[in-house]
Amino acid sequence: MATRRHFLKLGAGAGLAPAVALAQRKAKIVVIGGGFGGATAARTLKALQPSLQVTLVEPNPVYTSCPFSNSVLANLREIDQQQFRYDGIRGAGVTVAGTSATAVDADAKTVTLADGNSLSYDRLIISPGIDFDWKAIQGYDEAAAEKMPHAWKAGAQTVLLRRQLQAMDDGGLVVMSAPANPFRCPPGPYERASLIAYWLKIWKPKSKLLLLDAKDAFSKQRLFQNGWAELYPGLIEWVPLSQGGKVTAVDPATLTLTTEFGAHRAAVANVIPPQRAGAIAAQAGVADRTGWCPVEPVAFESTLRPNIHVLGDAAIMGGMPKSAFAANAQAKVCAAAIVKLLAGEKPQDPIVINTCYSLVAADYGISIAGVYRPNKGQLTDIPGAGGTSPLEAVGGLRGQEALYASSWFRTITAETFG
Amino acid sequence: MPRTLLPGLASMILLAGPATAADAPPGASSCTGCHAPKKVADSVIPRIAGRKASDIVAFMREYRSGTWPSSVMGRIAKGLDDQQTEAIAAWLAAQPE
Repeated sequence: MATRRHFLKLGAGAGLAPAVALAQRKAKIVVIGGGFGGATAARTLKALQPSLQVTLVEPNPVYTSCPFSNSVLANLREIDQQQFRYDGIRGAGVTVAGTSATAVDADAKTVTLADGNSLSYDRLIISPGIDFDWKAIQGYDEAAAEKMPHAWKAGAQTVLLRRQLQAMDDGGLVVMSAPANPFRCPPGPYERASLIAYWLKIWKPKSKLLLLDAKDAFSKQRLFQNGWAELYPGLIEWVPLSQGGKVTAVDPATLTLTTEFGAHRAAVANVIPPQRAGAIAAQAGVADRTGWCPVEPVAFESTLRPNIHVLGDAAIMGGMPKSAFAANAQAKVCAAAIVKLLAGEKPQDPIVINTCYSLVAADYGISIAGVYRPNKGQLTDIPGAGGTSPLEAVGGLRGQEALYASSWFRTITAETFG
Repeated sequence: MPRTLLPGLASMILLAGPATAADAPPGASSCTGCHAPKKVADSVIPRIAGRKASDIVAFMREYRSGTWPSSVMGRIAKGLDDQQTEAIAAWLAAQPE
């Protein structure tokens, strides 16, 4: 009897009643979406607690990374350098279900798969990335995207836009359209404009780029605009919302983009439409009326459905932007928190960091960083931290940040997929 | 019966997993997004796992004050107080090099 008490005491001391320990070891985690958020979460869970049964649901056998896909448009990289398989994740002990999730039953805690199977879970992670709002811009539907690519999910669309740019006559007008906030990769449209300009300046020097914007300010704005003035004078024209930048309709037959102030006919048109969380989020009941997913700021558990965590672009992460770095960092925090929750413990309040590089030219990089912690139910910027690269670069900083950018890409893709 | 329980208990506690990994101090897990835990080809970003904790703390203080020039690290170091920085440094130092 004394030994038995001793046993119970020891169990409590380790923070685990025996029954909880058993349940924890056998726990099933399903992760929907194999991008920087989902893939990182799956393998981090396995690394933290190898006894967990972790299934990653991802229909594509190959992941094509959006970060650095703008460099593919500018012929600085090939699309296969953007592509990663799931072999490393399988090797880490994660079961990869090569199919898509069609339904989530939050009450029964099951996920229905397109192949007819169903998975039960103790905790579900949804990291589906974005879907496009095909009704937001009149005339811009999936068929129109074959004429006026968005290239905001990397892959065939990226290759299509690059082919169109290469086929364009010198002197042609490239028209881009950027959406209102929030959207995937806030500095992305401006990096894209920069790198297309970089390429045009070399190969089609009589051409111009018109960037129609549904907002009046954007990420790293002064750094980008200074870079454009320095490197591409007169080549890029940015039209903000207040000057008629919001595209309301398109005609794919004539490559015409219509704004509240007029119409622009393009030789090549790149329409980045408004976005929302990937469709499975709404199906699971974790997206709100904005189309994005509210979560609490410690384990990123949905505030709408229990036992479902949402990561990355799909989630409303307070002050954190929708970036690959953020998704990867959130995933590591979420995985550690889930291990704690399964053990019946309270996860600690996290500190989450974001770092995001953009290229203004092949050898000209700029960055933004932020440090975030929970505050009043949201991830909030820690005051005095974060911010962008200095406006005045000294000591070859822009070149150095371009090198950091490519080093970051190799590191994060190795951590996520390697 | 109590005797037979004891080995079961020992293995249960061991199997409960490496609590230390899930107990990384706040902020620590974000570092590996840039600072690779394992060697990555062609990266100019230094690896910091297994470095001396006192060195990491010294660098972070100099980044934070601007004494040592940096790109993003100064901006990140300003988000962490001394105690948080020391906890992260100790954890990084304990990771395999």
